Amino acid sequence: MVEFIDVMKRYPNGTVALKGINLKINKGDFAFIVGTSGSGKSTLLKLLMKEETVTEGEVIVNGYQLSTLVPKQIPYLRRGMGMVFQDFRLLPNKTVYENVAFAMEITECLPREIRRQVPMSLALVGLSRKANAYPHQLSGGEQQRVAIARSLVNNPALLIADEPTGNLDPENSWEIVKLLSEVNQRGTTVIVATHEKSIVDAMKKRVIAIDKGKIIRDQQKGLYGDEDTEFKIYSEGKF
Amino acid sequence: MKIRSLRYILKESFKNAYRNRLMSLASISIISAALILFGVFYLILINLNHNLDLLYKTPQMQVNCLPELTDEQVEAVKTEIANNQYIESYEEVSKKEAFEKLKQYLDTEKKDLGGSDILEGYDESMMFVSFTVKVKDPQNSASVAKELESLAGVDNVRYSQKTIDFILQVSNWVKIVSFVLIGLLLIISLFIISNTIKLTVFARRKEINIMKYIGATDWFIRWPFVFEGVLMGFLGAVIAFVLVAYIYGFAQPRLSEQFSGGFEMVQFGGVWSTLILIYVGISALIGASGSVMSIRKHLHV
Repeated sequence: MVEFIDVMKRYPNGTVALKGINLKINKGDFAFIVGTSGSGKSTLLKLLMKEETVTEGEVIVNGYQLSTLVPKQIPYLRRGMGMVFQDFRLLPNKTVYENVAFAMEITECLPREIRRQVPMSLALVGLSRKANAYPHQLSGGEQQRVAIARSLVNNPALLIADEPTGNLDPENSWEIVKLLSEVNQRGTTVIVATHEKSIVDAMKKRVIAIDKGKIIRDQQKGLYGDEDTEFKIYSEGKF
Repeated sequence: MKIRSLRYILKESFKNAYRNRLMSLASISIISAALILFGVFYLILINLNHNLDLLYKTPQMQVNCLPELTDEQVEAVKTEIANNQYIESYEEVSKKEAFEKLKQYLDTEKKDLGGSDILEGYDESMMFVSFTVKVKDPQNSASVAKELESLAGVDNVRYSQKTIDFILQVSNWVKIVSFVLIGLLLIISLFIISNTIKLTVFARRKEINIMKYIGATDWFIRWPFVFEGVLMGFLGAVIAFVLVAYIYGFAQPRLSEQFSGGFEMVQFGGVWSTLILIYVGISALIGASGSVMSIRKHLHV
């Protein structure tokens, strides 16, 4: 599903954000990517979405080789992945229904399909009754659920969530993570970037820890940080 | 682009133009100003060309002999003209006739100078024999004129060349001035349109960003903005066309009266279809390129 092979990313200003990244996430996996801000976590996600291109190495997503992907193909790569962001990124002047339908409109789906698919997606996130509300009328947790409904409406094989709980209180955060886990159980590969320890620890899923542009730990059923790395982080005075 | 997206695209472009109505209005005005100017110059040129054509089609030519020519020499010139294969017909104007004509001209047109009285003491011997020649094909006018001019005893040959030269010169100047002015105005309208679209794009940059993440193609994002530009260009063209049609409809009969005889003006009915085509072409091109210019930056996500 997702594979990083000897990936190095250097930005034009000379900063090396990632180096020596080798990573494989299989179809149906659920993986947390954890790390402090500036660790290279965001760059990793940007490479996945082809917002940035690797300097060295190769990233393979859904069978697309991203290092040589031409700009014209990027939309088709992205249609195969759902994306959820910390700031929800909903369109304020569209209703919940329209926001979700929008993802299908821009991929030029048939109106018939849209009418069938959108209610299903809203039902999945438990927001059928709020279909005609506007984003500002919803709580943060509800808005994020709309964003998840939107990301799922085109039935992507992969869901990428970048700090999906960053703007939410613990209770709502927990709801969102449970929802993502449900999505994963339905067969979608889910990658969640986060730095919320409590959630990662409670879920006991695969944890990929990144620090200073390197993978320092890749553990099945892991915790946010094992004692070694925590000690390292404390000793470096980051907290 | 699929047909079912067309409705979305049209709706979006109208909405965008309306949200940004002040700038849209500015864009429409500037493009219609440019097109009005264009239309005025275009009609001037069309009229000049029309009259050039008329002159080319009038195959009249006047061959003037030297005044001191004897009758035999005049006869020789006449035979040459009669034998020229490019000449359809000719008419001789004798010295006497020419003198009468001159007298008549002075009596009617130059009364203030004393009319034909100023010819007191002169007679027809001061005049010269001339031939009014009709050429078969106006394209040969120049070569025939040259040939006749080279004949012994012929002083000069007059045909419409001088007027033609004059109109050509005028129309060249009109062309230069209009090219520069219209070019400048079109560039200005391009920038104003692209600026207007830039405002819309900026107001909707978040939406564009989201669309990019969801997997919209660049052209799907671009189309509503391109349509917005074309829409503004098109509205400008409609306004310009109506105004130009009105102005010409008002001016044409009045000017024709002024120029009566010398200069014939084209009927608007004969040129409007070309004008519309040019207007639609220019406005669509400017509208579309203006918006493509301004959205490029925001598509790099």
